Amino acid sequence: MAHLSLRNLSKRYDNNPPVIENLNLDIHDGEFMVFVGPSGCGKSTLMRMIAGLEEISAGELHIGGELANDTPPAERGVAMVFQSYALYPHMTVGENMGFALKLAGKSKQEVAQAVGRAAEILQISHLLERKPKALSGGQRQRVAIGRAIVRKPKVFLFDEPLSNLDASLRVQMRIELSKLHKELGTTMIYVTHDQVEAMTLGDRIAVFNQGRMEQLGAPLELYERPANQFVAGFLGSPKMNFVPCQLKDASSSEITLSVAGDNRLVLPSSHTIAARGDITLGVRPEHLHIVPLEQGFRARVDLLEHLGDAEIVYLELAGSEQPIAIKLPSGGHGLKQGDLVGLRPDAARAVLFGKQGQAIRLQ
Amino acid sequence: MSLSDPSTLALESTMDKAAPRRRKLRPWDWAPYVFISPFFILFAVFGVFPMLFSIYLSFHTWDPAAGLSAMRWVGIENYTFTLTDDWFQKSVFNTAWIAVVAGAPQHLIAIPLAFFLHTAFGRWRNAVVGFYFLPFITSSVAIALVFTTLFSRDYGVINQVLTQLGQLPVLEWIFPQQKIDWGQPEYTKWMISFVVFWRYVGWNTVLYLAAMQTIPKDLYEAATMDGAGKLQQFWHITVPMLKPMMFFAITLTIIGNLQLFEEPFIITGGTGGIDQAGKTAAMHMYNTAFMDGDFGTASAVAWLLFIAIALLTWVNNKIFAKSGMKD
Repeated sequence: MAHLSLRNLSKRYDNNPPVIENLNLDIHDGEFMVFVGPSGCGKSTLMRMIAGLEEISAGELHIGGELANDTPPAERGVAMVFQSYALYPHMTVGENMGFALKLAGKSKQEVAQAVGRAAEILQISHLLERKPKALSGGQRQRVAIGRAIVRKPKVFLFDEPLSNLDASLRVQMRIELSKLHKELGTTMIYVTHDQVEAMTLGDRIAVFNQGRMEQLGAPLELYERPANQFVAGFLGSPKMNFVPCQLKDASSSEITLSVAGDNRLVLPSSHTIAARGDITLGVRPEHLHIVPLEQGFRARVDLLEHLGDAEIVYLELAGSEQPIAIKLPSGGHGLKQGDLVGLRPDAARAVLFGKQGQAIRLQ
Repeated sequence: MSLSDPSTLALESTMDKAAPRRRKLRPWDWAPYVFISPFFILFAVFGVFPMLFSIYLSFHTWDPAAGLSAMRWVGIENYTFTLTDDWFQKSVFNTAWIAVVAGAPQHLIAIPLAFFLHTAFGRWRNAVVGFYFLPFITSSVAIALVFTTLFSRDYGVINQVLTQLGQLPVLEWIFPQQKIDWGQPEYTKWMISFVVFWRYVGWNTVLYLAAMQTIPKDLYEAATMDGAGKLQQFWHITVPMLKPMMFFAITLTIIGNLQLFEEPFIITGGTGGIDQAGKTAAMHMYNTAFMDGDFGTASAVAWLLFIAIALLTWVNNKIFAKSGMKD
């Protein structure tokens, strides 16, 4: 186990703009940290910098209290599981898992013992003599994890390890990874663009965008109190609804918004806020309710998506042509395409964002 | 069921309709066949016919000047004669010798060279590869002539360099003080092998480089994480991953070297050199046919060569398959 400390870490290729700039982050002993963000946000680059596969342009990386900027990858005490698994196709599963120990000069017996133990943990003992091509996607993933376990690393790095698996296998592996973390208790860093993986696996999540860390925190904290519009939009499916509105009045106990024309919405507030004029109202699909027309914002049903346990209703807000998604329990609401309905947000769960996209704290 | 059964009648009626009818081909229906026919006609005349005729010929004696009626059936006599012919045996030995001496280093040099080009060069890689590839696309006659000049006893650059090195204090133990007569039997095969090696090493380098470029980068990164240095990555990742290409390249070398003709022919002036030390099996075949006019025996030589190439390719295939190298 190891604590990681990233101080003013930057990555720049030649004279191009930095991919990562002045990043500061502490990852605790035994923590499951998830880096999440859209493609090209720099999360994988950051992981590769920790692994030693990318040079650090500036800043300091400490692993277990030791400066690791120039430490060779194999000596950092980190093991990485690649998106493609990166199993050596000409080696058997056992040879793949024991390769690092073989290179380290361990005896055949030591290698066999270590491989056997890891194989038992991952329940792949019966696959040790097979070549990777004879394995299914899930089995390959286990072997890749096994190869990392065998090295007894201080830190595990997972680079989008479930991306190549089908949906059901992904759920299964997600659960197994979670169990594995509890069993091994090792620090794990997990890169993904899948917010479901991020929310379910991480002790903490770091949300990245364009080389910057937008927010760091526990999954529910990020979901409930996003720091900005990007984080709010990135976490949650369907994504949070953003509606442009005008702040009409603000007191120390409530604020009044004008939404989509003449619709008025009053939100509770525990303090006076400084923002005025154009702002954005953010409401998650599950925090919007269908009410009689006269009691809410008028909206027309555009499309219904049946998910089995729930339904996603896409509507167009009258007066603004703003698309809105709401999540309702399956059946019973009787909505159909073209219906006019009233929409009422759960005022206590709504979030406001300023002109620059920063969240405005109401409570 | 009787014939008057309505269902039977219906079936017969359907069969009448389904019966194939000869369709009259209109002139433009022939157009596709006309357009693709040149290849087939040329291949039949210059490919299939000579091949089949050479099989037929290998069981006959024939003086081409006397016409087709002069062909005389001799059974397997051409084959037994060829197999017991000292000159043929010598040419096979020369061919095998040159094939190994020129062929093995092609691969032993090409693989590390390709790895070096793959890892050390960035955007200049293609230019450097092109440089190594040049000998392959240069006329073998021109190459052979240039090397004949380079290997010239009295005026050749190679002798000049070697004898100069032979004057130096320590190097005099290794390099000659006297000019070497490369035309002597003990040197002929070395000279030919060097030219063949020089010519084909670039080709093999390109093959191996192409194969290396298909090896996923992830594997090298995984190996780096596992603690493998550059050399270990080469042995544990690159070489095993190149095995399918090795199989292909070595097969090509076997086929090419057993058919070696142009380089030894030009270098030895078509004679095979003193004591026929540089005469290959393909040269022996050519001389038998066009110098001795014995087309029957030459055809037998050709088919014996084919059998040897097929056998060696099969053995190569087995070796690679056994070690899982073709996976």
